[in-house]
Amino acid sequence: MWRFVIAIVAFAILARLPVGLDAGFQFDAALAVIWAFGILSLVLLTGYAGQVSLCQATFAGVGAYGAGMTVASLHGGYLLAIVVGVLFATVLGVLVGLPALRLHGITLAMVTLGIALVFDRYVFQDHLFDWFTGGAGGWQVSNASLLGISVDSSQHLLAAYDVLLALFCICAVLVVNLHNSGAGRRFRAIRDSELAASTMGVNLTRYKLLAFAMSAGMAGLGGSFYPLIAGSVSPQPFWVFTSLQLAAIGVLMGVRYVPAAALGGLFMAVVPDVLTRYGHGTFLNRAYEISFDWFQIAVGVLLVLQLILLPDGVWGDLRGHAARVRNTFRFKRAHEVTPA
Amino acid sequence: MTMLRLRDVGVRFGGLVALQDVSLDLNRGEILGLIGPNGAGKTTLFNCITGVVQPTQGSIYFEGRSVRMAPPHERARRGIARTFQNLQLWDTMTVTENLQVPMDAIGRRNTFSDALGLPFSSYAERSAKERARAILHVLELDGYGDRLAGDLPAGIQRRVEIGRALAMRPKLLLLDEPAAGLDAHETERLAGLLHTVRERFHVSMLLVDHDMSLVMRVCDFIYVLDFGKILASGDPADVRADPKVIAAYLGEATPELSDAEPTPQLVTGDRPEAAASRAEPGEILLEVDAIAAGYGHLEVIRNVSLNVRAGEVVACIGANGAGKTTTLRAISGVIHARSGRVRFDGRDITGTSPERIARMGLAHIPEGRGLFPRLSVEDTLRVATDATGNNAPLDVAYDVFPRLKQRRRQAVGTLSGGEQQMVAMARAILARPRLLMIDEMSQGLAPTIVRQLFRLIDVFREQGIAVLLVEQFVESALEVADRAYVFEHGSIAHEASAEELRRDRKLISSSYLGTEAQGDGVDIEVVTNGHANGNGNGHFPHPDLMEIVSMRMPPALKRALEERAEREGRTVAALALELLEEAKR
Repeated sequence: MWRFVIAIVAFAILARLPVGLDAGFQFDAALAVIWAFGILSLVLLTGYAGQVSLCQATFAGVGAYGAGMTVASLHGGYLLAIVVGVLFATVLGVLVGLPALRLHGITLAMVTLGIALVFDRYVFQDHLFDWFTGGAGGWQVSNASLLGISVDSSQHLLAAYDVLLALFCICAVLVVNLHNSGAGRRFRAIRDSELAASTMGVNLTRYKLLAFAMSAGMAGLGGSFYPLIAGSVSPQPFWVFTSLQLAAIGVLMGVRYVPAAALGGLFMAVVPDVLTRYGHGTFLNRAYEISFDWFQIAVGVLLVLQLILLPDGVWGDLRGHAARVRNTFRFKRAHEVTPA
Repeated sequence: MTMLRLRDVGVRFGGLVALQDVSLDLNRGEILGLIGPNGAGKTTLFNCITGVVQPTQGSIYFEGRSVRMAPPHERARRGIARTFQNLQLWDTMTVTENLQVPMDAIGRRNTFSDALGLPFSSYAERSAKERARAILHVLELDGYGDRLAGDLPAGIQRRVEIGRALAMRPKLLLLDEPAAGLDAHETERLAGLLHTVRERFHVSMLLVDHDMSLVMRVCDFIYVLDFGKILASGDPADVRADPKVIAAYLGEATPELSDAEPTPQLVTGDRPEAAASRAEPGEILLEVDAIAAGYGHLEVIRNVSLNVRAGEVVACIGANGAGKTTTLRAISGVIHARSGRVRFDGRDITGTSPERIARMGLAHIPEGRGLFPRLSVEDTLRVATDATGNNAPLDVAYDVFPRLKQRRRQAVGTLSGGEQQMVAMARAILARPRLLMIDEMSQGLAPTIVRQLFRLIDVFREQGIAVLLVEQFVESALEVADRAYVFEHGSIAHEASAEELRRDRKLISSSYLGTEAQGDGVDIEVVTNGHANGNGNGHFPHPDLMEIVSMRMPPALKRALEERAEREGRTVAALALELLEEAKR
């Protein structure tokens, strides 16, 4: 029950955050939730089930293009667009999951990276798939209807953000619930020892595919909102590097913990924008400029530092420290109550 | 009624025959033992039964239905559960969660209702927790439920694995080395526990273990595997007495060394400086003083002290898991000794890195030989000479092993097992060691090759190279060695000259095959000078001359015994024997 309360409170606070900011930051906030979905999908797939994936942004991209196609080309409502986007991403997730039945670790990472590259180059940017990607210009989604209400990205950005955020909070609670449930334990059993899992009655095929399908579907759900908030779909946000960044920031924040997804999404969307906006000026009469490249370098450096200093990720280690402090406190109290 | 029926099961891995024509029957309610030396195929047989490995031939029936094509999780659902030799608990999950996974896997729970936390799921959750608590209680694991499985000591983890298997409500429980890494007292407790488990959970069991005292005590019937085939089967008492079994475990006494094969010679002319630097025979070269070592939570050896003199051949023998390999690793610096000192050639080498120890002239041929399969023979040997900083010609090695010269362009991985062992030894002697440690030299090799290799050790001795051997063919090892240390449960049970040990097989066989099981849980084994066995033939020499080799009894009783012995100023052995005598009268 507490989880729902926390989720509602978190939603109430987060929903208020971008109010009053300029359109750029509002867009960043919505983008942050989309990337948070991407990292949440990694929490399920990598954090719980132990399967490596370097193509989460591809899943999101497929979701975005699926939604864009439904609205712009098929003139469907946006609800249908979301369903189509999630469906496309889920199907792709199952297909990617098939090789994972035999592969582990670094080979699986290579295969998923290959899939991300192929989609980046030969699907999102190829004329063969113009029906899906809307050609070189991508889909323009200036006016869509969500449940009969007309939504325009330029005017109703915050409304779209709220819907997206609500969905994220629901998904986050579901993923947390999953951790301590039967399916979640089976996922974690596969992560710790596949051999033991299979001989203890866990159907590896079913649960690995399920993990990939659920994860891809979640990434796709985030992605399918992209046309709504950006007004268009282009291949650039979903290229290979975004997939790598999702994985890196996921690990940085703590890939086994759901709140890390929110942190990671925020970090990934807001920090580069802040850098490009305010990262230039003059310091000691010298002009300087911090570009997006600096952000990427910073992520790399932070990742190295985190792996050394906070091996369980930022959130994971914070949590661990908090628990330790709590325990020592409890221990002291227990001593005071029962003198030997 | 036959529960599990195996008929002519065979497994091949490439060219290697792991199992051949294995037929086996297990009745409902029975505890069946499966024993055999290292590499006999016991774990492979387990993997066949659980479906991890597909047999290349033969059939497997479980409760009258063939399970040959069923995947592992399907067999688990039908009631086959197992534990693992190398612990396979889910380390980052709590003990209770470890038990819950197989429970819900059997219950077919719904993922989406789980994620939503619907009443159906939370009810299933609560009942699973309740059952987990009940199972933990039977296994005497109360209070461990919320601990992370990976943080527990190995002995507890073994029991959690049994609990996890029981959580599946199995009909058949396969136990792969449940006593590995347990000390005598814990093993004793496990034996009692297994009987309790059979009564409480109505399971049949198939048990693989190297600890014969456990197998003999627990099992109703025993199959003996050797080289992938069933060698013998019968009641524990019959199997114990079967000469074939003893031979399989200890290796047959080799017949007279025939001179049919040429004896290899080391050419000394090439290495005068090496010969000159040899220590005088009799001087202590390696001195190990009370070391303890292990892996992770597991302490494998404790208080091991041994020494090797220059030019001496010393063998380490003892059952599997007794700590021989770990001792060698701790000496050569591959793992760090947790306490104690190692001195080599007068210098303290405790904690020195392995490559520096190797440079000092202590070569270690690890179990499995530690070769690079893709490198050619010549490159492998060159690596050795380069690493030790001198560019000795390879002729020294080729003179000893002419066969390697013919194959010098061949990749090491394509050679036969015997030739690979030759490469490993050639590489070792190129480093001009003063002490050569060889771990399981004869593992998986044909007897003729083994004989040839053993003769080579004689040659090493003539050259003044000391050798420390770990060997499963005890007879062959004792033939070539001067002295031997008998390992038991992670420490040295006795040290004796090889001749003495050969005369008295009983001394060794007790460490391999265990002593006769006793019902009351007290088991004292007393040996005096390696001659008479206290409870073996009824002959008791003078009590004060005896020492207790191993003692298995409840700790409280043991403490009481020790206290009384101290009070009366006598040895524990003498007191124990006197009490036993009294009890007999």
